[in-house]
Amino acid sequence: MFHLLTTWKITMPLSEIADGRIAPRFGIKLDNISKHYGDHVVLDDVSLHVQPGTVTALIGPSGAGKSTFLRCINLLERPDSGTIQVAQHTIEPGKDVSSRDLAALRRTVGMVFQSFNLFPHMSALKNISFPQQKVLGRSKEEADERSMQLLERVGLKEKASQHPGRCSGGQQQRIAIARALALDPGIMLFDEPTSALDPEVGLEVLAVMRELAADGMTMIVVTHEMQFARDVSDTLVVMADCKIIEQGDPRAIMSDPQEARTRRFLRAVLER
Amino acid sequence: MTIMLTLSAFAIGIVGAVPLAVGLSSSNILVRLATRLFVDLVRGVPIIVWLFLLKFGIQIGTFKFNPVAAAVVGLGVVSIAYLAEIYRGGLQGVPRGQGEAANALGLTRGTTFYRVMVPQAFRIVSPSIATYLTGLLKDSSIASTIIVTEMVFQSQAFARQHPSVEGILPYIIVGILYIVLSLPVAYLSRRLDSRMRKAVYA
Repeated sequence: MFHLLTTWKITMPLSEIADGRIAPRFGIKLDNISKHYGDHVVLDDVSLHVQPGTVTALIGPSGAGKSTFLRCINLLERPDSGTIQVAQHTIEPGKDVSSRDLAALRRTVGMVFQSFNLFPHMSALKNISFPQQKVLGRSKEEADERSMQLLERVGLKEKASQHPGRCSGGQQQRIAIARALALDPGIMLFDEPTSALDPEVGLEVLAVMRELAADGMTMIVVTHEMQFARDVSDTLVVMADCKIIEQGDPRAIMSDPQEARTRRFLRAVLER
Repeated sequence: MTIMLTLSAFAIGIVGAVPLAVGLSSSNILVRLATRLFVDLVRGVPIIVWLFLLKFGIQIGTFKFNPVAAAVVGLGVVSIAYLAEIYRGGLQGVPRGQGEAANALGLTRGTTFYRVMVPQAFRIVSPSIATYLTGLLKDSSIASTIIVTEMVFQSQAFARQHPSVEGILPYIIVGILYIVLSLPVAYLSRRLDSRMRKAVYA
């Protein structure tokens, strides 16, 4: 694993993603995560183990706690209790989290949001380069080179100098994916990445995500795209009422759900 | 004198309001309470009262404010309070997702604040700041009441010596002067605003 990392650091070819010579892949273990706002429980003792290089799709009715759970993984939401194990770090969010652990966690885990959240005052290129310079300490030239590679990869090289306001939603989301990838994360989180896009534009984002999955990136995806969940994910996780109610092979669950709640949800999304 | 007063008070305000705005949006309730108290106290009292208090109410040993210093400090402190409130509104106007994205990327708090939040907040508040500056220009006339020889004070002096119709004349001139001074501020702020909008969407 280590020599892979070093060769990749020196050459830094874009193809590393295509032919699998990417930064070390990480799995992540989340155990007994609970969270509530006041009396209102949002996550009730949720555990999930994700193997390196796999794609996990999180589905379920809205209000089930999918997004909150995803946001607990990189501590955008602070769970009340539980443990997070990633990249040799064990984090207990219920207690004080050292800034070193937090930094390590956020370096390992990249995130893509439903609303893109690109920085509107920076060009597409700057959006991708700026975090590299600040977080990884890359020089402007190194960062820009890497950014251009990634922009090309998501098919938006010609948008480098444009500000996000001039890009379509699908383009913005692809830039946002490039921005997260530029920091060489071992795991990528996607929070309903296509929900703010019309179906046709969503396809171009899904295409990038499929490619990323094929490259072997560890991915956790909250989504309503059932097709994507079935075809691309290795594990399907169904959440309802603040809990994981069912998980396993996506095709098996979709064709033969064990839980009544899952059946009800799947009927609603598949048979429309 | 009017320009000097306005610009010094504005300079004090625009810098001094930064830490106060941070305090106003702090997650620490004590800091928030203290800054909120300061801002509301300063804004709750008319400028003319502050100037009188500073000029005639403060004596530390042999130290007393001279009129100009009292006016600059008074207008400056009031500017800090008003601008802090404007900044705070601007910072809250930046979408929540921006801070979350910066956090998720692992940017430090300082970088997030100065490179992500502040530039966006500045775009939001720049028209309000320009409005405040034109207001301040005119409010500086209140300094005439503590014998600062700015434009209105001099008009009053002239009027006192010429208690006939012509005593009005300097007020008319001063009125025109205020307009002439405030127009460029309004013009520049509109230009700045439209340029920044272009920068974002171009």
